[in-house]
Amino acid sequence: MRQKFSYASSFLLKSIFVASLFVLIFISGVSYNHTVALTESSELVVHSYEVHLELDQLFSYVKDAEIGHHSFVISGDSVFLQPFDEARDKISKSFIKLIKLAADKKQQQANLDSLYELISLRLGQMANSFTHKAGTRMDQIQIDREMLWGRDVMNSIRTQINSMIALEAQYLNTQQQKYKYETLFTPLITLMLLIFSLTVFSFSYYRISNDLENLRETNKELMISTESIKHAEKIGEFSTWQWELETGKLVYSDNQYQLLGCQPQSFEPSLEKYLEFVHPDDRHIFTVGNDPEKINKDTSVAFYRIIRKDGQTRFFKSIGKLLKDSKGKRIMIGINCDVTDQHLSSIALEERNRELEQSNKELASFNHIASHDLQEPLRKVQTFISRILENDSDHFTESGKESFSKIQSAVGRMRMLIDDLLLFSRANKAEKIFQKSDLNQLLENAKAELAQRIEEKNAIINSTSLPELQVIPFQIQQLFINLIENSLKYSRPDVQIRIDISCEKTNLQNHPVFKSINNKQFYKITVSDNGLGFEQQYADSLFVLFYRLHPPNEYPGTGIGLAICKKIVENHSGFIEAKGQPGKGSSFMIYLPE
Amino acid sequence: MQEDLIHILLADDDEDDRLLFRDAFEEIRLKTKVDTVNDGVELMAYLNRKEIILPHILFLDLNMPRKNGMECLSEIRRLDHLKDIAVAIYSTSASADDIEDTFVKGANVYIKKPSDFAKLREILQHVVSINWQYHTSGLNRDNFILSL
Repeated sequence: MRQKFSYASSFLLKSIFVASLFVLIFISGVSYNHTVALTESSELVVHSYEVHLELDQLFSYVKDAEIGHHSFVISGDSVFLQPFDEARDKISKSFIKLIKLAADKKQQQANLDSLYELISLRLGQMANSFTHKAGTRMDQIQIDREMLWGRDVMNSIRTQINSMIALEAQYLNTQQQKYKYETLFTPLITLMLLIFSLTVFSFSYYRISNDLENLRETNKELMISTESIKHAEKIGEFSTWQWELETGKLVYSDNQYQLLGCQPQSFEPSLEKYLEFVHPDDRHIFTVGNDPEKINKDTSVAFYRIIRKDGQTRFFKSIGKLLKDSKGKRIMIGINCDVTDQHLSSIALEERNRELEQSNKELASFNHIASHDLQEPLRKVQTFISRILENDSDHFTESGKESFSKIQSAVGRMRMLIDDLLLFSRANKAEKIFQKSDLNQLLENAKAELAQRIEEKNAIINSTSLPELQVIPFQIQQLFINLIENSLKYSRPDVQIRIDISCEKTNLQNHPVFKSINNKQFYKITVSDNGLGFEQQYADSLFVLFYRLHPPNEYPGTGIGLAICKKIVENHSGFIEAKGQPGKGSSFMIYLPE
Repeated sequence: MQEDLIHILLADDDEDDRLLFRDAFEEIRLKTKVDTVNDGVELMAYLNRKEIILPHILFLDLNMPRKNGMECLSEIRRLDHLKDIAVAIYSTSASADDIEDTFVKGANVYIKKPSDFAKLREILQHVVSINWQYHTSGLNRDNFILSL
């Protein structure tokens, strides 16, 4: 998202700068034009004034000549010829200047020609009067005529000069008008462009500063993520690398060096250099698998040993992934993990598993000993006792008979213990084959097995309907047998035995001890009786192997039955608990998952 | 006279058990002739002898050295001249596996050695008095184990 934005922004900025460049070039052009126009205009003004000035000058020279002439005419003194000659020189020079100034204007040239003729005429007249009477005074009539002529010609000269000045002024005016029109819109356009440029620049500045801010943020994020990767690599004992297959160039992360026991970036990474660290027996993994030409698999995994710089052997796991960059070059990126700890612990685990298997085997052979080898001598003892009692009991003394019956009951108890222990170990280890079974049927089987004792004790067993569940059938049957047997055994002598078996569904949500995972549904099967009961404080101990609440001479038992029940229920991922009231009865609650 | 005798053979490696077995039959009022062998190898050698009269009932212990009861049972049921002998398994253990295996292999009845001499007598008397032809045809897993 952010990246997209930056790309758009950079494109925008480029456009803005190109536009601004054009605007600036345009403004420069316009300003140049404007300046050129202004220069031309001022030159024109200067020119015009120069012409004006020169004409005035010219006229004043003519007047100087006129005054000299007048004085000569009146006085007849040749002294006055000198100013006249001087004026004539100046007039010539002035004309040369004027001709230059009027070079590009035809009308003014024509006017200048006429002016020249007029002045030449006047100057000619004056020269005439000098030649006429040098050293002699003119009479009054001659003077008047000279003066009259002079006045007329002078008037014409004045008129001519004035018209020329007027013409020059007109030129100036016309040009000024033209420039004024030309430069009228220039300042406005310039101002507008300036404002536009300023807006564009401000906007650009805003965007650039925004982008810079973003860049700073991104940089910060990048730095944080780089740091956290470094951190993660250290904690997780792994490193990352990139390998360009075409050029063979390798890049390692800092932790790669540390995993090898070296300082970061302390050598130039290469496959050859890396192989030096690989355990000699494992190098073939690399020489076979890492020929760049032959790597085709997308991902490859290798396990091998590394001998670190300090000589320590570590177990490594490398995972590489093959990528192609935009130019089709193949790059392998991957990680190296130091899996020594996992490897060692998995070896230890395997070792322990082996030991466990061994001890399981020993246990199984112990079961066999218990079931067969221990039972055999015991059975023989019992058989021979029964023979002696049958054949020879008449010859016994009273105390001998008593001792013998004690031997018999002790041996019987030993047999019971062995039988129950066997049952317990079988509940422990027997193959757990789960089958969908009707619990009602299993209960019936249990009752059939105990039919004789139920009849002897005259017990009433009531049960509600039980569900069909995925169970190990013979174990659940055993469970019912043990619980019913328990109720039959620990009954009150003067009370008719009642055993109630009921079932309901529960999710164990409010149970103080057992907590079901993800709200699983359980079947709660309750087996309750009206027998001896027990103090609630012993409830948990009841399920402990060999634990007994009553001495064996009062109630024969081994303390294994309920331990078997617990084992069976645990085999079914269920729970069992007991509740008792002394002298009133006890209840056993079994929770089996749905 | 000879024809009335019921020939009984016991294969058991335990000397005491063989003694008790003989004693029990002596007390049973039936005309029986009891022979015993000490293990599986001896048993098969005995059965394969030409001159002997084959036993009516063979009591077979499972746990024996050299050749155990399970192997003997398989062999007996494979051999044509022996396959009709009634075989009663006579063992200390009554593990579900053993019961299942011997049933499948074709034993006729499974007896768990009792720990009371009177009971032993009773059981042996019962076994001998079974009409084997009838019993075998109606054999199933439920009446396979003999309990009195």
